[in-house]
Amino acid sequence: MKQEELKSRLNEIKDKLIDIEQKTDTRIFLSCEAENAYVVNKFLFKDLALRFVIATGIDSDDCFEILYHFSNDETGCIVTVKAFIRDRENPAIESIAPFLPGAEWIEREIHDILGIDFKNHPNLKRLILADDWPEGVYPLRKEVKK
Amino acid sequence: MSWKIKALKKSVWVFHVNTGACNNCDIEIVNLLTPKFDVERFGIKLVGSPRHADALLVTGVGTRQAAIRLREVYRQTPKPCVVFCMGACAGGTGIFEGGYHVAGPVDEIIKEVDPNAIIAYVPGCPPKPEAMISGVVKALAAI
Repeated sequence: MKQEELKSRLNEIKDKLIDIEQKTDTRIFLSCEAENAYVVNKFLFKDLALRFVIATGIDSDDCFEILYHFSNDETGCIVTVKAFIRDRENPAIESIAPFLPGAEWIEREIHDILGIDFKNHPNLKRLILADDWPEGVYPLRKEVKK
Repeated sequence: MSWKIKALKKSVWVFHVNTGACNNCDIEIVNLLTPKFDVERFGIKLVGSPRHADALLVTGVGTRQAAIRLREVYRQTPKPCVVFCMGACAGGTGIFEGGYHVAGPVDEIIKEVDPNAIIAYVPGCPPKPEAMISGVVKALAAI
């Protein structure tokens, strides 16, 4: 898909997004609320046929952010979906693993270290923390101090 | 010198334990066995079980998950044995100082099992194969 076509197709989901930010020719950020992330990701993966690269979890000051990175391999453009999870007490977001099995492990990892609940995840059990790690302690959250 | 120490130093069989290394030290340890350095000419041989080993070559910072296994491996090694902490992470905690997954440097983990363990350190990130050979020679000379 050419760059111009990609940009025009992104406007189809504009009502689900907070804004579309183009940093450079090959870097586009789509920010949205956590409730809309599933629809946006599914649109990018199924309709635009972008390749899922990886997801990132960030503990921001007032919310959690999950960043889903998609690549348009023809132009090398990276499209990042920024999903904001506002609820810090019970952070939860819809899992994209049901239609995108490649996201299964990264969601398990984010669940381990940030404690974000991925709803409808097929197998949300511990992935990288030690077996004797206490339940309910999420090491990369800002409030956790060594 | 007791006959046990003499037997230990005659031909050192080593068992390689990775307690969370980045594989850089492991590559250098494998390099020791290749024809270029060829430590088998000194009788140093890599073995597949701690029960056959005279020395443990430990690489990597002791992670919470690996610390339990490292203690168990140390218990299974016939005594006397020498523990070599290879690299900066195993000797101290290196760049992982204060990490949430770190149980401690290797020497502290070993000393929980046996406070009188013989522990030698080869610093470096990773240590050169020459440094490892030199460390082994110096450690064995000191026993």
